[in-house]
Amino acid sequence: MIDYVAGLLIVIGIYLILSLSLQVPMGFTGMFNIGHIGFYAVGAYTSALLAFAGFPFWLSLLAAGITSMGSGFLLSIPAKEMKKDNFALLSLAFSLIVYSSALNWTEVTGGPRGLSRIPKPVLFGILFSENTYFLALVLVITATTYLIIDRIVNSPFGKVLEAIRDDELAVRTLGKNVFKMKALALTLSAFFAGIAGSLYAHYITYINPSSFSLISLVPIFLIIILGGLASLKGTFIATIIIVLLPELIGLIDLPYSLIGPVQQLVYAMILLLILVYRPKGLYGKVETQ
Amino acid sequence: MLVALQILLNGLITGAIYALVASGLALIYSTGKFFHFAHGGIIAISAYLLYLLFSIWGLNLVFSIVLAILFSSILGWLVNTLVYKQLRRRKVSSITILISGFSMLLVFESLILMFFGASIRVIGNFEWQNGRPILDVVISPLEIYIVTFSLTLLIFLFWFMKNTRMGKAMRAVSDNKDMAEVLGISSEKIYGWSMIVATVIGAIGGILIGLDHNLNPDMGTNIMTKAFTAVIVGGTGSVAGAIMGSFLLGIIENIVIWFFSPSYSDAVTFTLLLIFLLFRSEGILGIKKGEEK
Repeated sequence: MIDYVAGLLIVIGIYLILSLSLQVPMGFTGMFNIGHIGFYAVGAYTSALLAFAGFPFWLSLLAAGITSMGSGFLLSIPAKEMKKDNFALLSLAFSLIVYSSALNWTEVTGGPRGLSRIPKPVLFGILFSENTYFLALVLVITATTYLIIDRIVNSPFGKVLEAIRDDELAVRTLGKNVFKMKALALTLSAFFAGIAGSLYAHYITYINPSSFSLISLVPIFLIIILGGLASLKGTFIATIIIVLLPELIGLIDLPYSLIGPVQQLVYAMILLLILVYRPKGLYGKVETQ
Repeated sequence: MLVALQILLNGLITGAIYALVASGLALIYSTGKFFHFAHGGIIAISAYLLYLLFSIWGLNLVFSIVLAILFSSILGWLVNTLVYKQLRRRKVSSITILISGFSMLLVFESLILMFFGASIRVIGNFEWQNGRPILDVVISPLEIYIVTFSLTLLIFLFWFMKNTRMGKAMRAVSDNKDMAEVLGISSEKIYGWSMIVATVIGAIGGILIGLDHNLNPDMGTNIMTKAFTAVIVGGTGSVAGAIMGSFLLGIIENIVIWFFSPSYSDAVTFTLLLIFLLFRSEGILGIKKGEEK
């Protein structure tokens, strides 16, 4: 029982890192980033491959964040000259490419079968194999992420990001370097997504491309939009709701083959209903425009 | 030489199907200025409807096809009225409409999974589905139908856009919505009609895919990513560009499949998508976004 609850809390923690980090470009800066799941994938694969090569956990974790950050930086270069809509399409193409590379670059990623037997983390000589131990690790990292992101969005830099979201032209007129700010927001967000990917890989100990398809982005988008754009508190509450929802669906006595589709249907319907009827979500500062 | 001819032919068949889906996507983009991602879902539904009516209930094939197309177009109209219209009223960005379309695509996909299961379904085995050698290349009668049918429909679409009152109104809304409104053209009405026209053409595409390949629950998502790429390659909002993009994509994919492996064809498609988004967002024809020339 404790193991089960700890497992759920770990998943909540990982999703919280992912969605908090997506809030920075999407909620605060107004960049619709469909490529977030790609950053998550880059982090997970990097960390798993480094762990196989014998690198210690802390180094794999850090490297996962840094490679994701690198891909975020690459994505932000063309975003410079782009309009909002085109950036969304570009990030969509980015996540499609990451997904199909994971699927087809079999020599490195293991193809559709993925990578299995990823080692559990070892830090300071302690093996984090038990769920309760792993939870402690996730809690520390999630709390740190929350504090850092909270700090950033409430700093003068965060206020500039919000100003960019509300009126980009005005910010540019005031002499701020909008492109640099956007690139920073995206790179920063990618770093945390990479960390989340690494934690996921070492927790599940098995990754395959299907965890990183566009469909896997739906719960994260749902968290952001249900919690409300630019609201960290909303994100926190929405993460708990969205992660626990499948457990509730699991309580209904459904045939095994129906569980997946029903869950997907419920997620997609909620996302749709919020977009149409409650664009501010639970605690959103701005409507989803 | 023979190989080149066969690849070209296969590319033409693939492209013809992509074109039926992509032209509708481009039509909706040109009038409403958003990507209708639920299109793929409705197309998958049309193919599964044919399976339900013809293969399970045993109705007449032609009657089943007509019924499947009819039902899909009603579904397309419903999607527009219940979701897109409400979102437009709130003046949301086109990306929010895209996300809502994507969630509808997932809704349709999960409904298909719930009712028909995850395994592959076959509409039926007909003699005209089998390939046969004609003039040194292998082709099936069905594939000849696909190309002829698709070209006829696309020519009809052009005629419709150029000569009918509705087609002209669609182009007017596409060029300048506010001006069209001033002249008494209701843009909402035009959005509704372009949705229906696009869905009918797309549903025919879905049925042809269903007959030529098999049915699987994620066929909607697959065809959608291909059609989306074709639209971007052709230059967003241009129906003619989307059709050219579709054939180009069909031929490139078949070259990759022939010389490398089918598993690389997706990666090549997405790379093409990325290249065009990065370096040539106006498409191969160089048409500016949303302008129909």
